[in-house]
Amino acid sequence: MRFKASIQNITTFTKLTASLNSLGPLAWVKLSDDQVCFTIIPEQGTQVWAALSIDTIFETYTVQSAANNVINLEVPLGPLNRALKSALNATSAQIRLTKKDSMPLLALTIVTTSSSNSYSAFPTGASNDGGLDAPFDDSFGGGNRETIITQEVPVRVLAPDTVAGLHEPQCREPDVHIILPPLLQLKSISDRFTKLALAGARSGPGSTASRTRLEMAANMHGCLKMSIKTDAMSISSVWTDLSNPELDPGQVAGGEIGISEHPSTRMKLLGSADGRSEEGWASVRIDGRDWGKVMSVGRLGGRVIACFCHEHALILYVYLPSDNGEDESVLTVRDLALAFLITPLNN
Amino acid sequence: MVILNFTLTPEAASKIHDLLVCLGKFSDTVAIEARRDKFAFTALNSSKSAYAALTLDGKHFFSSYECIPSHGGPDGRFTCSMYTKALLSVFKGRLYDPLGRDGAIDRCEVTVQERADETQCRFIVKMVCNQGVIKTYKLTYEAVEVMHALFDRNVAKNRWSMHASAMKEYTEYFGTKTEMLDIFAGEDGRAVFKSYTEKISNGKEILKHPLVTAVAVNTSDFEEFNVQPGLHIIISVKDFKAIVAHADTLKTSLKAFYSHPTRPLQFSYGCDGLLCEFTLMTSGEYNGATMTPTPAPQIASRANSRAQSAATENRSVRSEMPPPVEPASRRSERRRISGQKRAASPKPQADHESLFVNQEEEDARWEPVDYTNEEETLGWDASADRDAANFPTFRDTGSFSRQETTDSNEGIAPSQRVSQIKGLW
Repeated sequence: MRFKASIQNITTFTKLTASLNSLGPLAWVKLSDDQVCFTIIPEQGTQVWAALSIDTIFETYTVQSAANNVINLEVPLGPLNRALKSALNATSAQIRLTKKDSMPLLALTIVTTSSSNSYSAFPTGASNDGGLDAPFDDSFGGGNRETIITQEVPVRVLAPDTVAGLHEPQCREPDVHIILPPLLQLKSISDRFTKLALAGARSGPGSTASRTRLEMAANMHGCLKMSIKTDAMSISSVWTDLSNPELDPGQVAGGEIGISEHPSTRMKLLGSADGRSEEGWASVRIDGRDWGKVMSVGRLGGRVIACFCHEHALILYVYLPSDNGEDESVLTVRDLALAFLITPLNN
Repeated sequence: MVILNFTLTPEAASKIHDLLVCLGKFSDTVAIEARRDKFAFTALNSSKSAYAALTLDGKHFFSSYECIPSHGGPDGRFTCSMYTKALLSVFKGRLYDPLGRDGAIDRCEVTVQERADETQCRFIVKMVCNQGVIKTYKLTYEAVEVMHALFDRNVAKNRWSMHASAMKEYTEYFGTKTEMLDIFAGEDGRAVFKSYTEKISNGKEILKHPLVTAVAVNTSDFEEFNVQPGLHIIISVKDFKAIVAHADTLKTSLKAFYSHPTRPLQFSYGCDGLLCEFTLMTSGEYNGATMTPTPAPQIASRANSRAQSAATENRSVRSEMPPPVEPASRRSERRRISGQKRAASPKPQADHESLFVNQEEEDARWEPVDYTNEEETLGWDASADRDAANFPTFRDTGSFSRQETTDSNEGIAPSQRVSQIKGLW
């Protein structure tokens, strides 16, 4: 069993692990010839299914195993994220699977060069960019310091049959799909809603209702509504002029006919673009805290499409920003990086 | 009856703050020892594995210093012990602020009141602030005998020194929950600082094992590096981090002196009349490699001469008692327990010392909100105090009876204070 790769995009990898770590402490990582998958299935809360093409984070990647060159690992995300953070201004970073005292671990080998006069392990806002400060280096004891850092993250290797039963759940075709507004905006509002609801809940008698019921709804006319109701109040925010991406006949079962029969086509007939109509909303009630954790993925800066199955499911698909200059308006399955399956609350 | 009076500049007072923060990471109490010519803060941790002595020179550190111990002649001393936290609440952060913002002081005057004609013995700190505000703090203290750890630099032939900022950078790579630090002098021109934790090895627990971090540094990047190749020495990573963080505030070089595992190690640094020495217990070989107690002869001779010269020019009497030597077998065990204990106690102030700051602030926006944190209330008027919340009305002279209000006082606090709203009408 061999796995070795150099990390090409440390920032993305770090942000990815940080986002995933908000949802659960452990991830199942599947390394195969063509992709790296991260799966988080917490006991309760949101499931994440992420599949990244190798070159999103790695280069010179080798994976070998007796099971079709697939390696399944259970990885603690906190330590992995911490380890990756120390590589943020590295000149090179390598990751490999190895063993020490018969314990498997992922070893990160990071080479950093810091000029003698900038003493900071992590890039700060005003980091000096080598060239400008070069003249001072020699006066301070001879040029750059090269440091090699090894970070060892303990992992568990999972047998193929342990993970054989893992499949991304299938869900019916969504009633509404919509591109979400910037997540930071969404997050700050939903966090505030949740706080208000909790403040209300605490005062109530026998306040054990730790769950805050956030109702998310969207229509096919570019509207998203987020609301929260308690005994004492009802607040909601509505976004308008968002976009509902067109479906690609090539991707929908049944092609053109499939689209004409698609639930979202029917939803288009209902509701209005000002968000005032009572009709045409597909809504799902979710836990406000769960939502807050999911919003953590915003740091990756991708575009997010929310798929609503009315009173049934809410799935967020995150498309990582691609740097190859493709037309951003077309999102293909290839760009899809993460899927968040948010557990709806019952009744 | 002792006379002890001294005055500090704002810079010196803020250095006292920094050193107290550092000592607070070792012990809840800090001992004070004042002599005619110098003043020292010392601390010994609860497991007696780390001893810190921070000496402030009477002439250089203070803007004025006077100490006449009640007995003992020229070698006499005044000793007492105080809660580190109590002192820290007096020597707050930002005492020195060139812009003179909140908290900045003009000077700090300290006197000790220990006289037969006074009923109370107090350690009195006067913070003379701008605009003629004087804050006076009277602290209680406990009279104690102060012990010193003895460290013989002549025996400590292994030594290195490096700029504290560089060392701080290395400590930032370490995982957060590790306990031990192995300092290893490699044979390939590299020194390795490795932070790790003793194994927890059963089943799923493996994944909870903290990160093992090894930082390999070229020995040429040290200002001085004379260590027997192949030598491992193990100390507590928390102690090391605390020392490095403090040394970094002084922007000086950190010097290490040690002989071999199980013998004490000393870190030393200082500037501007402040000398900091930390004597730490060390433990044996990580990975059980054999070690030779006698260092290579040429290093020995060089180090020796250096040590002697250092010793002669160095500070005066160190006649006091060294801490008891523990059996080697128990040492690591104890260390581990104390490490765990300390890890359990929350240390929020450790966070804002990290150079992560910029990174973290950026990240923090994306972190899920911790709703259990009471401090962080709603974005508007977080300072609303209970009294204000008790008035359900918008008028200060509320005509509602108190009876009624007690029922409703658990609701959401008004989003503004009444006094702030007044202007609207």
